[in-house]
Amino acid sequence: MLISPVAIGIIVAALVLIWLIAAFNGLVALRNRVQNAWSQIDVQLKRRHDLIPNLVETVRGYMQHERSVFDAVTEARAQAIVAGSNMPVRTAAESALSGALGKLFAVAENYPQLRAVENFQRLQEELTSTENRIAYSRQCYNDEVMKYNTAQSTFPRNLFVRMLGFSAASMFAGMDADRAEVHVKL
Amino acid sequence: MQLNAHPTGELTEPNARQRFEPRDRESFFAAQARNRRATWRISVLCVLAAALMGIPLALLITPLLYGVALIIADAVNLFSPLSPEFWRQASEVSRFGRVALDWLLQQKAADPQALAIGVAVMLLPGILFSLALWAGVNLMFRRSGTGGAVLALRAREPNPSELKELQLVDVVQEMAIAAGLPAPQVMLIDSPGANAGIIGASPEDARLIVSRRLIEVLSRDELENGVAHLIGSIGNGDLRISMRMTAVFEACGLLMAVMNAPFGPQSRRILWRMLRYSLIRREGDPQGAAAVADLLTRGAGLEVDDIDRFFDPTGKKSRLRSVRNFIFFPIFFTNTAVKLLLWFFSWAVLGPLMGLLWHTRQYLADASAVQLTRDPDGLARALQKLNEEPGEIPGGDWASHLFLVRLSRSGSTFATNTQQRQMLAQAWAASATAASASMPGASSDFAAISRQLPEIMRAAFAGDERAAARLRSLYQSVSAADPEFAAQFPNPDDLIAARKGDLEAMSRLRAARPNPAALAQAGKQKDQAPSSPERPSLVEFHASLKRRLKRLALLGAHIDPVARDRKAGIVILALSLLLGPFALLAILLLLLLIAVMTLASLTFVVIWLAVIHKLFALAGSPSA
Repeated sequence: MLISPVAIGIIVAALVLIWLIAAFNGLVALRNRVQNAWSQIDVQLKRRHDLIPNLVETVRGYMQHERSVFDAVTEARAQAIVAGSNMPVRTAAESALSGALGKLFAVAENYPQLRAVENFQRLQEELTSTENRIAYSRQCYNDEVMKYNTAQSTFPRNLFVRMLGFSAASMFAGMDADRAEVHVKL
Repeated sequence: MQLNAHPTGELTEPNARQRFEPRDRESFFAAQARNRRATWRISVLCVLAAALMGIPLALLITPLLYGVALIIADAVNLFSPLSPEFWRQASEVSRFGRVALDWLLQQKAADPQALAIGVAVMLLPGILFSLALWAGVNLMFRRSGTGGAVLALRAREPNPSELKELQLVDVVQEMAIAAGLPAPQVMLIDSPGANAGIIGASPEDARLIVSRRLIEVLSRDELENGVAHLIGSIGNGDLRISMRMTAVFEACGLLMAVMNAPFGPQSRRILWRMLRYSLIRREGDPQGAAAVADLLTRGAGLEVDDIDRFFDPTGKKSRLRSVRNFIFFPIFFTNTAVKLLLWFFSWAVLGPLMGLLWHTRQYLADASAVQLTRDPDGLARALQKLNEEPGEIPGGDWASHLFLVRLSRSGSTFATNTQQRQMLAQAWAASATAASASMPGASSDFAAISRQLPEIMRAAFAGDERAAARLRSLYQSVSAADPEFAAQFPNPDDLIAARKGDLEAMSRLRAARPNPAALAQAGKQKDQAPSSPERPSLVEFHASLKRRLKRLALLGAHIDPVARDRKAGIVILALSLLLGPFALLAILLLLLLIAVMTLASLTFVVIWLAVIHKLFALAGSPSA
């Protein structure tokens, strides 16, 4: 028994359509993950901004002579908040903030009394964790971008992605100052 | 990404044998993909094995199902005769069944079409019944959530005002962010073992169970890696796999309970509890789910069941009993055959396959952890440290494959050193004379000490001042002789105070480095329920540390790959060559036994049913 060419055509078309739908949905899911990972970075940066006033308040009494250190922290924080969605300025401000915080904790090493204060230890832990969270959220963003871009550029999906309205996302590349490791000692 | 090749010095190595050693590092993405494929292959094998087990199982169960249907139909027929159409169809079904049976038992040639229908008639009801049991168990426990297991582990929420516990919560948050998952809830258990695991039915309600000891043993970056393994495991969907697998074992238990139900109260109680649990589901009843799950997993073992008690040959003999035993013998025989079949397959086929499956899942989770932290060294260090610690988690046996390292049992690490034994014996004798001359055991016999010490501890806990004084003096003399050894044991005063509910003493005990063996000795009481039996399987559900470290070295950890011990390898090879044929023979004999039992039980049950049907016909004919 011969199946008519029309029937074969319909079956092939249906299979292609099903594949297209699956590919489209898969890409949408990946794109959403990328967007979610991006917003996670923001969330963590915001968390760091919220922790800083508390830190400065705790430290101020013990480190009277180190005004310049925590002034730098407050300054960088203010700049980062003012920058808002102006990405280049903000990235610079955030990395300046990372540097300033690192310096603050380095200086705090010289104040044994301060290190013994439980509140300071907790703040230090919170900030360590926040620095980690920022780093991990960037890493997660980059992983998701890699998956998304790979999914787009592999054959045969690469023939259709433009048509379906997807485009490659760009990876997060830290500033040079950001790449220098920030040592927050535990 | 770690794609760099090994130092070039090795490439120019003239030794050709080196080429077969793994030389290039593997990226964690490649490792993940490889282990995912392995999981796929093994799960296909698992499904095949389950299907293979299904055939004899269906052959055993189907006649019983038909039997129940027939007896019901006969009983109904007695009071309100069924239409002849029904009986005609029933005999049609039995005819096809007979074709298949003749073919199977007497090798009688059969028309292929009739044979196919006959095989379907013989197998389908049993297969459908088993599948229904599995699906039912699966559904029931998926809905029940994780509360019961948490209760069984006596887990508590972490206290964020304590720095270490705050750190744990932070680390979990960090790793969840790195994995792009919702952060699971963390629960702490104050157990002497250092281990951590996950429980739950899905990534949404997953919980991390961490023992308090773990966060004391590991540094922050090691903790990060351990948590990353668990979060990676959640992200890889291990919870769902575990759920499915546990459901298979539980369905086996349920099957045994159903088959035992007519013969004893214990199985009926299990079924009743399960029924009640699935019909009246209260939100706040996670305990019910845990209890039922526990009962079902126990049911699958080769334990004494209701039916064994029913047919207990050592019981008192009477004519009535032997008549009864004779009547119900086919059921008993079938039951035994099913039990043997389930035990054999779970121990030698399905269990080992699932063990291998979990090995690949652990390697996969390790690779995922490296993806999250990019720190294979940290993970290797954490695994090594935890392997040196006893990883015992009371109440966690049922899900050992979801833990970071193998759950060990507290063995007899209690003063294994002879020098320590001598010292302990001297201190023991001294404390006996110091406390009171009338106290038992001024003996220097170590076995006697380890027998008497728990008794004295119990007496001290109960409030016996003399026993407490003796413990105190023992502790003092031991710590005078060997402070390091004494540091392994908890301070008796704190122990006694903690028993009375002194919170400070409890925290002091936790802060001191406790020896789990000593604690277990102290806490060993007769009324404690035995821990649930290990799932019967030839292969452990945990990959060995050596293999995990080897894979971590491939991912870039700077650890010396453990050198292969050639001598041990030769010995093992020789032993397996010697014993292999015997083991194979034993397995073949077991398989043969199962086949014979299956066929015999088929014959018995068919004869039994025919007799019952005749009896009903006789009872019905005078009235008709």
